[in-house]
Amino acid sequence: MNIKDSKYIIPDSTPELELGPDWLKERRRSARHNFNEQPLPHRGIHLWRYTDPNDLIAFTHKAIDDVVDYNIPNEARKNGVIVTSLTKAIESHLELVEPHLYQLVNSESGKLEAENSTLWRNGTFVYVPNKVTISDPIHLTHHIGKDTSSVFPRTLVVVGKQSEITLIDEYEGGPETEENGHAHINGAIEIVGMEASNTRYISLQRLSHATRMYQTHRARTDKSATMLTIPLAFGGSLTKQNFGVLLDGAEAESRIYGLLFGSGHQHFDNHTLHHHAHGETNSDIDIKVVLKDKAVSAYTGLIRIEQETRNCEAYQTNRNLLLNPGTRAETIPELEILNENVSCSHGATIGSIDPLDIFFLNSRGIPTPEAVRMIVTGFFASTLKQVPEDLRERINVFVAERLEGV
Amino acid sequence: MSHNNALLDFENVHVKVEDKEIVKGVSLTIHPGEVHAIMGKNGSGKSSLSNALAGHPAYEVSSGTAFLDGKNLLKMSADERSRAGLFLAFQYPVVIPGVTVANFMRTALKAHRGQDADMSDFRKLFRAEMKELGVSPDFATRYLNDGFSGGEKKRIEILQMAMLKPKIAILDETDSGLDIDALKKVAEGINRFHSDQTGILMVTHYQRLLDYVKPDFVHVMIGGRLVKSGGPELALKLEDRGYEWVEAEMSQGSGK
Ligand SMILES: Nc1ncnc2c1ncn2[C@@H]1O[C@H](COP(=O)(O)OP(=O)(O)OP(=O)(O)O)[C@@H](O)[C@H]1O
Ligand SMILES: [Mg+2]
Repeated sequence: MNIKDSKYIIPDSTPELELGPDWLKERRRSARHNFNEQPLPHRGIHLWRYTDPNDLIAFTHKAIDDVVDYNIPNEARKNGVIVTSLTKAIESHLELVEPHLYQLVNSESGKLEAENSTLWRNGTFVYVPNKVTISDPIHLTHHIGKDTSSVFPRTLVVVGKQSEITLIDEYEGGPETEENGHAHINGAIEIVGMEASNTRYISLQRLSHATRMYQTHRARTDKSATMLTIPLAFGGSLTKQNFGVLLDGAEAESRIYGLLFGSGHQHFDNHTLHHHAHGETNSDIDIKVVLKDKAVSAYTGLIRIEQETRNCEAYQTNRNLLLNPGTRAETIPELEILNENVSCSHGATIGSIDPLDIFFLNSRGIPTPEAVRMIVTGFFASTLKQVPEDLRERINVFVAERLEGV
Repeated sequence: MSHNNALLDFENVHVKVEDKEIVKGVSLTIHPGEVHAIMGKNGSGKSSLSNALAGHPAYEVSSGTAFLDGKNLLKMSADERSRAGLFLAFQYPVVIPGVTVANFMRTALKAHRGQDADMSDFRKLFRAEMKELGVSPDFATRYLNDGFSGGEKKRIEILQMAMLKPKIAILDETDSGLDIDALKKVAEGINRFHSDQTGILMVTHYQRLLDYVKPDFVHVMIGGRLVKSGGPELALKLEDRGYEWVEAEMSQGSGK
């Protein structure tokens, strides 16, 4: 067999195929089969127009554990919240895991999702019982090592009926430069928001510039539940993240308020999906992008409203702020609306900072670098209003650091 | 040439916008304690002159000299001009989304002082100035000029002047869009700011602001030039009779 082709084939001897109980091994084997049989995504398909799938298949299928720190507030422990590895949860709480695992992201979702479905090792499980409100965030931090590695994080979150949580899901680390190695991450996140629950899920990606990340997130919101998804992305050399929410019961509500700030030669390719599978649901998306140096970003936002799902509201905005020539942003709204009884809008802007805004701040004594910082921070402000204050302060520091030298 | 004790002193200033000459040789000297008013028809170049003096990137001073308290204004960037003591209250203030008035004000003060003000000192000062100007404390946490009414924007401009304490303030139609009570508050704000150490250049169309803030000199701008200067009585005459008689005088003058 051609060595070059080996990255497209997961061998039969892969140790992950032997992890877990029999039913799980069976799922892994069929996922491996799907991965090996499926062709690479075609570049003509809209979601792959901006990124070469060859760049996102792991360099090696020798997976290592996803090293995750859990920061769990005391009130969460006291109220029966479980945060543990998926492997352990399968041993101790099978009945909580089995109905949900692989329901939203599985080997049918795509070739790379099949890769993750085969090769994930320890994974993370977050379970919130019914009627529990935790005000402080549960914070997961995934640490990626400094050497070449392939990691396949898989996270399952179940939020019980009438419960309320904030989950911060942070990804950091990776080789400092490409001379030191390449880290490769292919992650899957499944979130179930049961009836009348309120979930705030914050993804913070601040990987090194020698790390590539592919990530598929799918959440389900049941009747009267709300889901607030906040993707914040700063890191990675090549990042392709796909955030999607299925609105699956009357009065379910989903909002995705994201931001990314690219610099250097970073490449971002993001998608969002709002799938209105039930009538009387509403959704809103606001994605903000700031780019400097030679960074590029493509954003594709799909709103899908089924034929029989009436009285839905769906809104989508994507704003791109380019700090210098040489950056590039693409924005592609997609609407698949199969009935007319909906209220729907989308808008997108791509532009640079208005020199008049800078002048106005200058005219009050504020030097240009500080004026730019204020304008960028101001651009992000409505998104960061949605995150806890200490995280907001950290993000503002990242933003200020990234603006140095503009 | 710079007059030794002048706060603002410019001579034969020409201003170009997109390669078109708008201001065609204007000279003015403002000493400490003086209030000057410029009146003139729409489009005569009053805002172009004001913007050019403040360092607006679209308004190029193509020739002439300008000194701020003895320093060469034209060599300074816009932010340096502000820190050197020049303030322009804009005819059309800009909206800065996501930046609160308080945060903006604090950053501007920090830039002026070279160091961050103590938070509680800042709050005290800021609240007091807001109160004096009849600005509701809610404005502190609102985004700068975002959704502000025309009159609210003008009041916030004067609030900025009050906080930054410039040497010379150019007020470009700060009176327009103000209701009667707001006009009074703003005029009081200007008078509080004014002292024998500061200078004011007001651009206005109406006598009503000048009733409260008494000018020492009134200048008339037509076609990019200051064509006539006088005392406060000139403003009254303009209010009464418009600009036709000035234009008539000009054409007689040029016919001689
Ligand atoms: N940024 C610009 N781009 C193009 N033309 C401009 C610009 N600014 C000013 N002008 C033109 O220059 C002339 C003078 O404008 P300016 O705003 O200075 O007048 P003004 O005396 O302040 O008028 P008003 O009393 O209406 O405020 C006008 O003809 C205006 O259209
Ligand atoms: Mg004007």
